[in-house]
Amino acid sequence: MSVISVNNINKAFGKTKAVNDVSFEIEKGRIFGLLGPNGAGKTTTIRMINYILTPDSGEVTINGTIASPETQKMIGYMPEERGLYKKMKVFEQLMYLTQLKGMKASNAKQAIDYWLDRFEASEWKKKEINELSKGMSQKIQFIATIAHDPDIYIFDEPFSGLDPINSETLKEIIIELKEKGKTILFSTHRMEQVEQMCDDICLFNQGEAVLTGKLREIKSSFGENTINLEFEGDGSFLDMLRDVRINNRSTNFAEIRVLNGQSMQDILKLAMEHAEIHKFERIQPSLTEIFISTVGEDNIKKAGLDIS
Amino acid sequence: MSFHKIWLVLKREYLTRVKSKSFILLTALTPLALVAFFGIIVYINISETEVEKRIAIKDHTHVLAERLAEINPDRYFDVDNTPIDTLRSQILDEEIDGFIVLNDSVINQSKTPQLVHGGLGGISVISAVRSDLRDAIREERLVREQVPDKVREIFASRTGLDAIKLTEEGESEDNTIFASILGFALGFMIFFGILLYGSLLMRSVIEEKTNRVLEVIASSVKPLELMYGKLFGVLSIALTQFGIWILFYIGISIAAAPIATMIVEKQMSNMPQEAAQAASSFDPSTLENLVIDPSIFVFFILFFFLGFMIYSAIFAAIGAAVENEQDSQQFMPIVMIPIMGAYFLNTKVMQNPDSTLSTFVSLFPLSSPINMISRVASSKVPAWELIASILLMVLTFFGIMWLAAKIYRVGILMYGKKPTFKELAKWVRQD
Repeated sequence: MSVISVNNINKAFGKTKAVNDVSFEIEKGRIFGLLGPNGAGKTTTIRMINYILTPDSGEVTINGTIASPETQKMIGYMPEERGLYKKMKVFEQLMYLTQLKGMKASNAKQAIDYWLDRFEASEWKKKEINELSKGMSQKIQFIATIAHDPDIYIFDEPFSGLDPINSETLKEIIIELKEKGKTILFSTHRMEQVEQMCDDICLFNQGEAVLTGKLREIKSSFGENTINLEFEGDGSFLDMLRDVRINNRSTNFAEIRVLNGQSMQDILKLAMEHAEIHKFERIQPSLTEIFISTVGEDNIKKAGLDIS
Repeated sequence: MSFHKIWLVLKREYLTRVKSKSFILLTALTPLALVAFFGIIVYINISETEVEKRIAIKDHTHVLAERLAEINPDRYFDVDNTPIDTLRSQILDEEIDGFIVLNDSVINQSKTPQLVHGGLGGISVISAVRSDLRDAIREERLVREQVPDKVREIFASRTGLDAIKLTEEGESEDNTIFASILGFALGFMIFFGILLYGSLLMRSVIEEKTNRVLEVIASSVKPLELMYGKLFGVLSIALTQFGIWILFYIGISIAAAPIATMIVEKQMSNMPQEAAQAASSFDPSTLENLVIDPSIFVFFILFFFLGFMIYSAIFAAIGAAVENEQDSQQFMPIVMIPIMGAYFLNTKVMQNPDSTLSTFVSLFPLSSPINMISRVASSKVPAWELIASILLMVLTFFGIMWLAAKIYRVGILMYGKKPTFKELAKWVRQD
């Protein structure tokens, strides 16, 4: 049985359809990535899973129960718009947030002590949040999300605004939670993070889920239609190529998606005439490439997607 | 609706505020101000024994100076032979406070005499001199007209007025003036309390938005639970503060009369005979009037409670609609117009608590919290009016709460733009 099951949900704000007939299932113990540009409907979907919003039609079930105050307790949620009470002491704050998630005071105290200790943050207990550095308060935010030990974890754009050290910490936490058999859902508009971590993905564009499935299967279904090229010398020959899409380009590197049966050998020849080739590799397409070819170049809100 | 969650929210709201320095300071300093206020009342009453003003009378009538000296020997003295220029320089040298030249025309033709003075420090001295002169001149004219003694006695007699208020408990000494002031003061406190704690609630809602902690909370608590928790949390803070103040007031008002008696007696034994006599004109037992009927406090708490609930629901909705305090300004008239109106009309209610206007504003639910308590304290309000005003406030509360909850529910997740009134209306209609 799926841990999270989203069935044909719709949500409109006035005339804007924020989420349009979206369905997907998340299996226990897996990391599920919700991908798409800003404004594609990811946060609205996540809010419906968290029972912050209710769908206009369709339903969300968590462990078989329709989203409700009861299911909220099963989820640890770190929203994109996140923060803490600035003038409250760390420990009191964590107690408050954890108890709101339905944990008893004595259990909450134990869990908070454990996590503060884990993050070497025990001495901040009596400090107010505005006395802490940004990195420190981000750690407190993690604890606030996970201390009540739920089965499901939802992170909305978790890496935006995190410093590099905390980004690493968060990745470790996510991996550790997965190993404990917990289910994780996170959303991002940065494709490369998904490639590293996700088991399953759902691609969002303009309120619709355009592609859902296991990351590995999706990638292999696209075949090895991409060239990973490393070279030295003048890169201007790349502009001469036809029937290709270059997604990731720098002075000595390019990721070239081959279109319309264009011959890879011809590309190699052209490259060798103009530059010294260090590496020429046939690979599966990147997620960015998969996203673009799924929704079509013209349908992407340019500002939203991070195609770096 | 989970009462446990409302309780958790309430507890946090209450504890974080009650432990704050500003709360402790405000709670402690206000009673100190009250003590100072009582102290000043007692002091002013005692210190009216100040030195009498000296007014020189240059008397060409040769009768009025004597009569004036009879009325107040400390104030008036005859300076028949001193030239006016000397008197002027004496004023400037502060040897005397003023002088009056009196001619026969003052008696015969009712001319208005002139008081030349170097600043007497207040209108009360001038009016006292005027009334002394009137008495002296009237007396002299009556003598000159050879009016019989009986008639002169009639003119000399002054009728006072003792006001006795009749209540169901029997006759009691009237203290209408104190009751009116009390009514106004209680109305003012409700006005002040609603504004103070209402905006505290609003700031607290805005704080959760600017801190971006709101969505974390919203993933655990229903917006309405959060709103109720915060509302009752702030209400508890207000009641704690008012409770402390009321207890303090009751204590001090009961103790005031005995303490003042003690101080006055002690002072008098240290004072020269004359001053002590004047001081005795202050009767410490008048302070017993400061003891307030406990039922008035019950009404005070009740009306504050209802008024706070109505206004704070609006405050919370405004807080949810905006992202920072500056943006809240555009919505503040919704609160400020009715509450300031009630406050300004409160003077009218104090002057005439039973007029049609007073009855109307004490029934109208947005002004009744302030205006009804003024009437209750200073007059006898019919029971049906009390019940009607309470019912209207309860109904208004539910109506406004329903609207506020809708705005709150949508508003707390809205970031980035300042909504207009039109958009708020759309939020209300949104399902």
